[in-house]
Amino acid sequence: MKRRTLLQRAAAIVAMVPFDRIRVFAQPRELTPEAIATLHAIAATVLPASLGAAKIRDVADKFVGWTRGYREGVALSHGYGHPRLVKSGASPVPLFIRQLAALDAQVRTRGAQWQALDLEARRAIVDAALVDAGVRALPPRPTGQHVVADLMAFYFRSSEANDLAYRALINREVCRPIAITTRKPAPL
Amino acid sequence: MATHETDVCIIGGGITSAMLAERLAELRPGIRIIVVEAGRSIFDTRNRGRYRERAMLYGEHPWPGDYIEDQQADGIISMTMAVGGLALHWGGACNRFSEEDLRLKSMYGLASDWPIEWRELERYYCEAERRLNVSGEPSLHPEDRRSEPYPQGPIPLSYNLQILKAWAEQSGLKFSPLPMARNLTPFGGRDGCCVYDTCGEVCPSGARYSPDFTFRQLMAPKKIELHDQTLVRRLVLDDRRPTIAAARAVHQDRPNEPIEYRAKTFVVASGYCWSSHLLLLSTSPRFPNGLANSSGLVGRYMNGHRFMQATANIDDQTFPGQNMTHSLISREFFRCPTDKPFVRHDTRVWESSAGREPRLRTPDGKLLLGDELLNDWRSRTKGSSVRLRAYIDVHPSADSRLTLDASKKNRHGDPMPKIEHRFDEATLARKAATEAHIAGVFERLAKASNGRIVATSQGDYLDHPAGGCRMGTDPATSVCDSYGRTHDHQNLFVVGAPTMPTGGCTNGTLTFVALTLRSAQAIAGASPV
Repeated sequence: MKRRTLLQRAAAIVAMVPFDRIRVFAQPRELTPEAIATLHAIAATVLPASLGAAKIRDVADKFVGWTRGYREGVALSHGYGHPRLVKSGASPVPLFIRQLAALDAQVRTRGAQWQALDLEARRAIVDAALVDAGVRALPPRPTGQHVVADLMAFYFRSSEANDLAYRALINREVCRPIAITTRKPAPL
Repeated sequence: MATHETDVCIIGGGITSAMLAERLAELRPGIRIIVVEAGRSIFDTRNRGRYRERAMLYGEHPWPGDYIEDQQADGIISMTMAVGGLALHWGGACNRFSEEDLRLKSMYGLASDWPIEWRELERYYCEAERRLNVSGEPSLHPEDRRSEPYPQGPIPLSYNLQILKAWAEQSGLKFSPLPMARNLTPFGGRDGCCVYDTCGEVCPSGARYSPDFTFRQLMAPKKIELHDQTLVRRLVLDDRRPTIAAARAVHQDRPNEPIEYRAKTFVVASGYCWSSHLLLLSTSPRFPNGLANSSGLVGRYMNGHRFMQATANIDDQTFPGQNMTHSLISREFFRCPTDKPFVRHDTRVWESSAGREPRLRTPDGKLLLGDELLNDWRSRTKGSSVRLRAYIDVHPSADSRLTLDASKKNRHGDPMPKIEHRFDEATLARKAATEAHIAGVFERLAKASNGRIVATSQGDYLDHPAGGCRMGTDPATSVCDSYGRTHDHQNLFVVGAPTMPTGGCTNGTLTFVALTLRSAQAIAGASPV
């Protein structure tokens, strides 16, 4: 996909997110310790176990960093061809906290902890949450629609994941000497 | 009212303005040049890496504040209005047109000829390529012969493009690396390319040319003055003579303090949209339809090129992400035999990850988690997707127009532009045949490596738009001469994209620049007009 088309679509997706629904007075700006704990628990399911526990924890922590770095009211890429001005909405943090709490509650109703549930039970919980949030596909990047989809997009849309999928050191969008790109990427 | 006196007042701060200012300063050392740009300067090059990162992580626009919210047009292709213009975030493609573009009428009986000889324009292409430090490989077609080599060798083909070139050439078409204004090694105060691969958004190293570098280099030794955030609202006619006396402007932050620019020569370098817009706004009793508009053609013959694109799946293996902003180009169909139905287009090939990206669900709707998702993705990385595109030579009718939309005004009460593209009858008549031809080319390309076309689509806007102040020799059928001097006003020039009668069938920026450099000779008075 052409990059500017991708950005344009990403901006359009963000514009559709009903941030206003979650706008109330004195919203939290950071994920709570409880929310972060749930995020870590879920990360072990939705990110590849083959990454190893430490790496999964690292990805989840970096995603928490992403939520901290979010800025409201900033112009998003206005695209090319049919440009339009869209600004970033309210921080998704309050919504993420609610979504993580809801997921946690779902697990508790089954009388277990997240990792104690079998895979199909965890899949059913996540699936229902994503359907409820209207998530149909992996977002091009985190968009604030659902915390699980965003965590997955945060990782699976990365250059690192691209290398893992192709089992090759492509280093997409990573600054590197142009001569390197003339050779077949080295296997991972 | 603040008044500024100068020799040349250039209105607009995009790539043609930068090139014109640079060339004028060389041709006429000591000449006073003021560049007036409505948008702001975004000269913080040190922050561009951070802007890029935030664009990738958050979708933020990588040029903060490069737009004016109430200074927008219906039908425009980019909101950007800043020093550097659209060339802040162009891809850097530097294809030349071909002689056919200049002789459509005499060769094919279509549209109109340009009032320039190809051999002369070719010299200015060389100059444009030098200034932009274009990296390229000479065309394989003898008709594309060059009088000077490219200033840099071609961008090295990525492994992916090497694979795709071998694949595409099995069709019998020949492909070359796309010429690009991208430094391979440091040049002109800009670094060499290190494949950030976001040329079309922002280039943190500055390897891909952008005009802000030129402006800064001209400002430091005071070769020009740059007045940014200053919107020129009207050009004012001299009381007695048909010359321009002044440009009236306002600073965006001080709208109640008008500014007047008085100059010997005025140059409108505001691109395809805002050039016509300013002329149409500048009415007077002697020119009730706007300045330079006694022909009634200002804002007409708006052009550009249509495009078709496709995705092919092939068995050859590539690794998406090596250098996605570089591509291959074939100029095979730049030339159309005069005894055959007219069809002209370029053909481009890119690496692609279409259909090979991570997905959340299987086709039957099962949610994929963790390693399932990774394994599903891996299972679809075999073979390659290829992105194909053709820019098509289409010709405007006189009704392809930019008009003033009284229903949409900026904060100063000026009506904003509205652009509606229309094609001439010949273009409409050959539309189906053109599309069938291009679809056939895509199919021909796809045949090798067990390939097949899996998606085809048409662009719903005209790319690389131009026109609105077309050049010509007859004042009744054109707005300006081949140098951009308006027929109606001796000291008023229009340069670059607006002067083009037709939009060609490949990226236009190099041609906008070449035409501007030719205009610079006339504006400086250094060559006969």
